[in-house]
Amino acid sequence: MNLEDLIPTEEICMRYKVEQTFISSLSQSGLIKIVTVEKSQYVPTDEIAAFEKLRRLHYELNINLEGLEAIQHLLAQLEELQLQNRKLKNRLGLYE
Amino acid sequence: MEFIDYYKLLELDKSASQADIKKSYRKLARKYHPDLNPNNKEAQAKFQQINEAHEVLSDPEKRKKYDQYGKDWEHAEQYEEARRHQQTAGGAGGGFGGFEGYGDPRQRAHSYSGNFDEDTFSDFFEQMFGSSARAHGSRRQRHFKGQDYNAELELNLRDVYTSQKQTLTINGKNIRLTIPAGVENGQTIKIKGHGGPGVQGGPRGDLYITFKIINNTTFKREKENLYSTVNINLYTAMLGGEITVDTFSGKVKLKVKPETQSGTRVKLKGKGFPKYKKENQYGDLYITYNVEMPTNLSAKEKELFRELQKLRS
Repeated sequence: MNLEDLIPTEEICMRYKVEQTFISSLSQSGLIKIVTVEKSQYVPTDEIAAFEKLRRLHYELNINLEGLEAIQHLLAQLEELQLQNRKLKNRLGLYE
Repeated sequence: MEFIDYYKLLELDKSASQADIKKSYRKLARKYHPDLNPNNKEAQAKFQQINEAHEVLSDPEKRKKYDQYGKDWEHAEQYEEARRHQQTAGGAGGGFGGFEGYGDPRQRAHSYSGNFDEDTFSDFFEQMFGSSARAHGSRRQRHFKGQDYNAELELNLRDVYTSQKQTLTINGKNIRLTIPAGVENGQTIKIKGHGGPGVQGGPRGDLYITFKIINNTTFKREKENLYSTVNINLYTAMLGGEITVDTFSGKVKLKVKPETQSGTRVKLKGKGFPKYKKENQYGDLYITYNVEMPTNLSAKEKELFRELQKLRS
């Protein structure tokens, strides 16, 4: 992965006003991916949208880490069900 | 413009304390937060409403004004003007403080800074509190990435039979886009970097386009396969023959086997819809025969059918 696709975690902490421990916790729970290059830690740019969502849920809705994990899991299920629902709706069109 | 009952929106009564407002807002925000309700426009609208209600009721000055004028809010400015005149005439000085300068919004607790439309305040809110309040209301924090945009694009089924180039105008900017053949109804594609501008050198957001495919053809579609029903007459069904059928790529001749039953389905390989992002690969076209019975039989026809009936019994 190119360095230009990575954002240092320190910079993220500064910009988003979050603790380094928050990013580490998200990474340890498998909620976002962190890349280590020469002892420095980075968040890939394509993980930023997920990070922003988790940050909002944590800081704005006071949802703790366990809650974030549960939400992430349920949202993935919801997305899968929405996709299935769309396919079924398209299929249902065959019989209308 | 209708009066909006912010208390009702937050499920509170007028005597609610700040703690009650905060509690109710949090409860409802957790229920309707767009991050927790993806692709749910109703939840997003509801979230915007409760956000607005919170914006007003959690601010003592705004709440005071809202409570004071209530349903007469449209005349609020006139009342205030009259009051200002009265106070000046009486030498009270100072006048009414107005509703600007609510303090640094970033200092306020519970600010939602989701990646949503900033244009989230109702006309009612603007009319009552002015557009400066709106600026205070949209308390977004600094982000790297710009806002993601969502758009819906309506196309006819025939349009997506082939890949095509389209130019879309998003926020005044023309975006040239190639829509791959075979895109499905409800499918969303992401166009990287065509969302809102990034902050402080950050990347632009992405543009998400959801396709709404209108099927105004006689074909039914399921993924890359097409289905259609073709009427054939009794004699072709009984004795076999050749018919011409419509496909998406033109007319084709088809041999009908003798003694074909109504409801028989035949497959025309490769005559279906293009497979998404798979060049020169197509699904199949399934044709179901519907055997049409002759009507208004002549005496001679009836006689011949009776003959046939005798032969079969």
